Parts: sequence; structure tokens; C-alpha cells
Amino acid sequence: MATLGSCAQRGGVSFWLTALLMNLTVYPLLALWTLFGLLTLPLTLPLLRLVSGWSAQRTMRYLIWVYGQGWLLIMRPFVRFETEGLDPEKLHAPAILVVNHLSFFDTYCMALLPCFDVNFAVRSWPFRMIFYGFVMRRAGYLDVESMNWREALAAGRRVLEQPALQLFFPEGHRSRDGRLQRFYSGAFRLAKETGTKVIPLCLTGTDTLLPPGRLWLCPARVRLQALEPVDPAEFPGENGHVEMRKAVKERMRRHLEGGGERRC
Amino acid sequence: MTDQEIIERINASLAEEFELDRADMVPEATIYEDLGLDSLDTVDMVIVLEAAFKFKIREETAIREIRTLGDIHNFVIGKYRRQDGAA
Repeated sequence: MATLGSCAQRGGVSFWLTALLMNLTVYPLLALWTLFGLLTLPLTLPLLRLVSGWSAQRTMRYLIWVYGQGWLLIMRPFVRFETEGLDPEKLHAPAILVVNHLSFFDTYCMALLPCFDVNFAVRSWPFRMIFYGFVMRRAGYLDVESMNWREALAAGRRVLEQPALQLFFPEGHRSRDGRLQRFYSGAFRLAKETGTKVIPLCLTGTDTLLPPGRLWLCPARVRLQALEPVDPAEFPGENGHVEMRKAVKERMRRHLEGGGERRC
Repeated sequence: MTDQEIIERINASLAEEFELDRADMVPEATIYEDLGLDSLDTVDMVIVLEAAFKFKIREETAIREIRTLGDIHNFVIGKYRRQDGAA
């Protein structure tokens, strides 16, 4: 059953009814929530800016985080969300977050973070989506595919100086088999250039919820765990970013595969 | 530096940066299809080659014509020889 994937291999009648209910309710509610956000944005954005005194980017990131809270609320009857190590002290800006990539919904799961001022590094195609593109540009998200390295570095540096959290999916694409793919260097070059700590985030379960190439949602347990920060000063030299990239990836791999450490 | 030494340095730098298998790094290997790199990697590739050979190539138009690993070898060897001759 091509559209159901691994979901088809699970559970009995009650599980199937839950999954059916999930698919019948989540998509319409998500569409309504998105439409509500879109229609109220011309009001909420300037009003919140006025009340908070925040910059336009920070205000938009807050509204994105609120949108994410709505997504969590819609999903909660069907998805068990678990977090570990998401300590606000640990996730204090400036910092670079790197997270493994399994599903379209991974970005939504960042609403589990205890902080809202998170700037995403994104490929070019989401910027071409009508609503999302507008919102992402207003939030100051980095279009890392269109920028050259100097532009990306300058933009990333500005985000960290605000200070905010800069988030990367270093694999660049969703994993098709749940395993970590090759990491791009951008996040680690930025960390080295700016002397900013990198916090690895391990995400599991979203590939059950909505794997790549599927539309059928499946009840799941989603877990987001923050590992200990990695200091770029531990990786000196011209190729320090490569060593840092390898060390962070290895640490994430050990956790995701449960190789002697707690599975996340 | 001989051509072979230049090629070796290129391959070592790219293998390190992009986690490539050295067995796949034959001159006829296409960058995108065979080596699995993409548009995000081209930026890193320029940075890596500039760091390995201490010259600037990001403004060179010829770099846009590169399709295979052999093209990279020839491009860098040519650039290195021109720079060496000018020095």
C-alpha cells in the first residue's frame, strides 16, 4: 500500500481507526489554522511589534512559534511528544542548532523548543511557496542555496549577533532510511568563524508520523533531545570545521542508533 | 608540484570535505550524478580548493563549465601553472 508505508504494518482495528480519524481531522484543522494565521497576520504582526518593541524578524519568529504551538495542539491527540535536555539555559542565544532531518514536519517540531527566536537555514524551494515564502522572508530565514558563502556567513553572523538561535538541517534533505546522511559544512564553518557553540538536536519519530513521499499520517511517538553543546574552540586549525562536523555527526549517530548510549 | 601531486591534493581535499569514497573518485566521475554532490556543495568546493591551493577561483567563469572530477583536475592544474608561471 504505497501511500501508507510503515504505518500499514502496525496495530489492529483501533489503531487503524485512530489513524483514519487523524487523517480526517489533522489536515482540515491544519488548513484552517494556517488560513487563520494568514488572515490575522496583517493585524497581529504590527500589533505585536508595537506592544513588544521587537524587531520585525523577532516578531515574525514569535508568530511562527505560536503557529507551531497550534500545530502541536492539533497533533497531540495522535502524537506523543517527548523532550529531553531542552533546558532554556543550554539553548541560550547565541547558538547554532543542528538537527537531523526525517520529515516535512520536522520544522514544525521545533515548536517543542523552549525558545521562539530561532532562525532557520532553508533551501530555495520553500521560499517559492506563497504563504510560507513571505513569512520566511519576514522572519529573516537564510536561503542558503541562493546565497554565496560570504553572504551566508554575513547573514548568519547578523542572526547570532541579535542574538538569536540559528538552526540548520546539516543533511540538507530528509533521510529516506532514518540514518544520518552526509553533513554539509555550512553550520560548522559559521560556528568556527563566529566562535559560536553548536547544539546537536536528535529528532526521532517524525519518519513514522509522515515519512518522505507519503501523505498518510500515522500516530507516532516523537522525541526531541538536545545533546551537550560543542565548542568550536576544541577544533583548531584550517580544517577545524571538518573535524567539528565529524565529531557532531558521530555524537548524533551514536544517540540515534543507540550505540551504547541512550537512544533519542 | 607535479600534475599527479595536484590531483592527489584535490582528491584528498574533496574526499575530506564531502566524505567521498576514494574509489569513486575517478576522473570521469560526474560531480552531481556520480559523486552525489549538489548546488549547496559547489560553494564549499570552491572554498576547499581555494584553501588547498591558496588562490582565488570564485570569480572565474570557467568554473561554471565543470562537470566531472577530471574537469576540476584540469581547471586547477591550469590555474596552478598560470599562477606558477606568473610568479
